[in-house]
Amino acid sequence: MFVLQVATAGIATGSVYALIALGIVLIYKCSGVVNFGQGGYVMLGAYAAYALTRAGLSPPLATVGAVLFLAAVGAATELLVLRRMLKAPVVAVMMVTLGILILFRAVCLAIWGPDQLAFPQIFPQGAVQLAGIFITYNYVAAAVLSLVLSLAFLAFYRFTSMGLSQRAAADNSRAALAVGIHVSNQVSVAWAVSSALAGLGGVLLATLNGLSLTLSSIGLVAFPVIVLGGLTSLMGSLVAGLILGMLEAFTDGLLTPALESFLRAHTSVYSVGALQQVVPYLLVGGMLLVRPQGIFGQRGTERV
Amino acid sequence: MRARRLAAFVAVAVLAIAGSFALGRFGAYLVHAVAIAATGALALNLLTGFCGQISFAQGALIGIGAYTAGNLGNAGWGFGALLGGGIAGAVASVVIGLPALRLRGLYYAIATLAAQFVLEYLFKIAEPLTRGISGMNISPLKLFGFPLVSDQAYAALSIAVLTLAWVGLAAVMRTNVGRAFLVVRENELVAKGMGIDVVRTKLWAFLLSGFVTGLSGALVGFTTRLATPEAFALSLSIDQVAMLIVGGQGVWAGSLLGAAFVALVPEAIQRLGEAFHAATLLSAMREMAFGLLIILFLLFEPRGLAALLRRLVRGLTRLAAARNPPASAALTASRYPATGGSSEKAH
Repeated sequence: MFVLQVATAGIATGSVYALIALGIVLIYKCSGVVNFGQGGYVMLGAYAAYALTRAGLSPPLATVGAVLFLAAVGAATELLVLRRMLKAPVVAVMMVTLGILILFRAVCLAIWGPDQLAFPQIFPQGAVQLAGIFITYNYVAAAVLSLVLSLAFLAFYRFTSMGLSQRAAADNSRAALAVGIHVSNQVSVAWAVSSALAGLGGVLLATLNGLSLTLSSIGLVAFPVIVLGGLTSLMGSLVAGLILGMLEAFTDGLLTPALESFLRAHTSVYSVGALQQVVPYLLVGGMLLVRPQGIFGQRGTERV
Repeated sequence: MRARRLAAFVAVAVLAIAGSFALGRFGAYLVHAVAIAATGALALNLLTGFCGQISFAQGALIGIGAYTAGNLGNAGWGFGALLGGGIAGAVASVVIGLPALRLRGLYYAIATLAAQFVLEYLFKIAEPLTRGISGMNISPLKLFGFPLVSDQAYAALSIAVLTLAWVGLAAVMRTNVGRAFLVVRENELVAKGMGIDVVRTKLWAFLLSGFVTGLSGALVGFTTRLATPEAFALSLSIDQVAMLIVGGQGVWAGSLLGAAFVALVPEAIQRLGEAFHAATLLSAMREMAFGLLIILFLLFEPRGLAALLRRLVRGLTRLAAARNPPASAALTASRYPATGGSSEKAH
């Protein structure tokens, strides 16, 4: 029973991770930019939804409003900042996205303060009983919404003409230009979609864990996800998100207590701390050494 | 010429060391804060600016230097504690760098990010060595049997370490290993084609950079007297990369300029905030300014303060030359001897 309970929590948070990681992969595929600031958009989405409900909107409407607002923020970021940095070296692009993260955190800190806030109830209270365990609607909604959206997103990419132009722009931007695709507009669209996904992920995470500035560090958890899944694979980030969500939940729920009781019995060590926060990075370290392109990624070739 | 430049450089450093004893406590604190940060930024500049390996584990490496030097210093070591911090930093840097032998660019950056988080976790867990989250007290550094306690003394020591690191690293860049760094930065395949041992070159970069980072970490430990895991978190790594970006990559002076800027501007904003009694908004304002500065520098002056300063100096000399036409004529004549027959004889 307990194992099932842990597993459902893992699936719920894991699918939200997948949603956030999808956004990072989308931008990377399209423009070669890795958005280290994705956590900033996650946090901003949650705070925007909070502000809109405080302004009198109903929670579902506020969520939609926050997602639209984030899409606008994402497109604006691309237009104002990233479009000017097309030829900049990797370190500069990484650093500019980190600068955006710092800026967003500071803005949220200035407006809403450092304390945890009570996030409005978006989904009905209560729980469903399934196979002998209780799952709150929050978890059900987070898992179902993220998974459905991720799959819809993959379908959009595969089957619509806009998805086709996005893939073309990502695959070979010069060839895409030659057949009449406005590549930089496609990149703007990718940023808007990615930020909207991040914003929704932020709202879902805030319903699960509460609203505070620490939401911004979720962007850094998304990196193990994309490395594990492969930086270029949308499907990979979906699978890897679920794997890492489960891994975190099981480390927190089963491994940490077992390890601590063992260590307390045999050594003077009392606590292993927040082990679940490090496990994804240990996994990433190993993964990068063994198979740097990830589970689903493709190995790139390089010309001199 | 090179010897003369070195002599001038050392003379400036000696003057700065002498001058730091004339400073007040706060002034001396600012001087050692900037000098220590600049030492770390120099090391990162070697790794990223000259050898092309992006690292987000600089904060954790500084932490390793601080914890090692702190433990050795508490055990009664003097100079050895400083050196020990450097050696520990070098070893850790090489270990973190091992993935770089297979990975490149972005993937290596993510690997260093992972290393940063794992080390941060170890700082919290390894209580016998680090005293965990409550932090480790570090007794003052003993040099020649005398404990250093004043900020002025640490300012002088930090400037001396910064000078040594600067001269040492600049000298390395004039060796074959140093020139190999530049080729590896530009293109690893080309480097291989030229017969450069890429693995060995990268290991040298990690070793040297780690040693200097460890030294700066040791000084961080001795000046703050308390080492806590939060002090060496990812934000310190980001600060160090920001110094590199704001100052200018691949230019030694850029590290000092960047360190001064990143360390002093928040301090100035804090002073300003205190003057306007806006203490609650203070940390938010600092962060906001920091984020904005990074973005603006990358957008409008990606080559950093060093390039900005050089352009400023050139503009000023041109302005001065325009005011003094005869002097300017003499200048152009001597600089471009081919334009005038008379000056050709002079050469």
